[in-house]
Amino acid sequence: MGRWLLVFVLGVIAILMVSPLILTVFTSLKPTTELVNPPWYPPFNLTFEHYVRVWTEGGFSRYFFNTLVISVIDALMMILIASLAAYAMVFMEFRGKIVLQVLFLIGLMIPVTAIVLPLFQIVRSFGLLNTHLGVIFADLALAVSIFVFMFSSYFIGVPKALHEAARIDGATEFQIYRRVVMPIATPAVVTTALLEFLWSWNDLLLRLLLMTQDQMRTLSVGLLNFQGTMTRDVTGLSSGTVIMAIPVVILFLFFQRHFVRGMTAGAVK
Amino acid sequence: MFSYPDSKWAQRLNPVLFLLPALTIYAVFALYPTYSVIEYSFTDWDGIRPERNFVGLENYQRLFTDKIFWEAFRNTFIWSGVIIVINVGLGLVIAAMLARVWKARLLIQTCIVLPVVISPMAVATIWRWMYQPAGVINQVLENIGLGALATPWLGSPDAVLYALALAHSWSTIGLSVIIFLAGLQAVDEDLYEAARVDGANPFQAFRFVTLPALRPVTAVVFILTLTQSFKVFDIVWATTQGGPIRFSEILSTYMYKRGALENQYGYGSAIGVALLVIVSIATILYMQIQNREDR
Repeated sequence: MGRWLLVFVLGVIAILMVSPLILTVFTSLKPTTELVNPPWYPPFNLTFEHYVRVWTEGGFSRYFFNTLVISVIDALMMILIASLAAYAMVFMEFRGKIVLQVLFLIGLMIPVTAIVLPLFQIVRSFGLLNTHLGVIFADLALAVSIFVFMFSSYFIGVPKALHEAARIDGATEFQIYRRVVMPIATPAVVTTALLEFLWSWNDLLLRLLLMTQDQMRTLSVGLLNFQGTMTRDVTGLSSGTVIMAIPVVILFLFFQRHFVRGMTAGAVK
Repeated sequence: MFSYPDSKWAQRLNPVLFLLPALTIYAVFALYPTYSVIEYSFTDWDGIRPERNFVGLENYQRLFTDKIFWEAFRNTFIWSGVIIVINVGLGLVIAAMLARVWKARLLIQTCIVLPVVISPMAVATIWRWMYQPAGVINQVLENIGLGALATPWLGSPDAVLYALALAHSWSTIGLSVIIFLAGLQAVDEDLYEAARVDGANPFQAFRFVTLPALRPVTAVVFILTLTQSFKVFDIVWATTQGGPIRFSEILSTYMYKRGALENQYGYGSAIGVALLVIVSIATILYMQIQNREDR
């Protein structure tokens, strides 16, 4: 009895939580004539014309491609640099390790928002404004700490004996990294890829600041501009929103467990 | 001794090679800007001219007398307060309910966590549309007989900050729920059994078993929500840009206006430093609580 009441209450909450998304999808699929209906009416005659319009005339195909390139490179680079650094921190002995640890710890505390002004100057001084590379470097730098710690916590679980054994067998550090340690850390690799992709895909501030040419814009900035110039274009805006949301929603539905674990671990960002 | 395949030199060099990519990028694009924002904050730089003059604490003195800064400061606290009440309070209640349910649990959890992955920019677009004077929210209010409450949410000086905080909470509460859920799974089932034997009803069990056991997790979610809400820029910028007038101005939007749009780099940086200090303190607290928990 009580259980059913709980399920009912939770069901209502769940519906309330997804309804903004569902209403957005509804609107994006409605012919303009149906916009007079209340927003919670489903579309009676489905149309994809708004998607086509936004994708071609609205420039969202280019935004989509730019976002995808940056996010994928971000994710791959992050796996590489964070795991290499974590490997050194866990398995190698060298002077100044504690200093490095503190440095990476500081990275957990730096809010992107606070340092965007000098970050803009540095990216500009390298001539990387309006390049994918500038955004990628900034993304990597601002999140690398989190992933170094994430990989470290996996590597610490690797038995030291396994590492020693590989060394005695004549493997170099890089071979041990690639053949022994990384395969064990697959969950960390997946989590890193998903989280970094997600953060990169969703960010607005850095892209707003570092991408001033329309040619280079990402979905977040594209949507912001679209919203500024086409304020009344409800169907176009909702289509753009869905285009931006759909890849991460699909990823989330497929990899929910990894996301949940990663977001709890990487929650400081 | 074993003979290592890597030569002595390789052993010296290896840590450098492994750390170099991460450290270089990190130092240049994160550590150095952090140092710079502090340095800029003591200058009168406009972000364009090559020269900048050291002006000591002038920017900080200006902060203290800047009425808009204090409005933004106060707004940021109100904004964070609202989000904390929702994400910690409601988040805990939802998690506690979810933990008692088996049927449809994954489905419900998916619905609640799904908005977390949606871009703040998309969240902004969705809620801007829903908050319109003739938008979904007002239409629903009228249909359920609460038409008197209808208001142009984002244009109303009284409502705008709360309306945006609600939108932000919608997109972040899922994170609190999953952290609470993880904490709840660690609570000893025997305690509930004992409470039941002692004749406690579900609310008493929640009050006297769940809440005390979850105190550390609650602290974690509290500070996490605090730091996250302090850092917010995207959703406010993409909806109101701090308006109407300055009723939803928060520290990040004010800094962006002064620094990036008005080229007052020195002054904008001083605002950035204020943000940096607040968030750092909160994060250190967060890490300490988590450490204590891990032990």
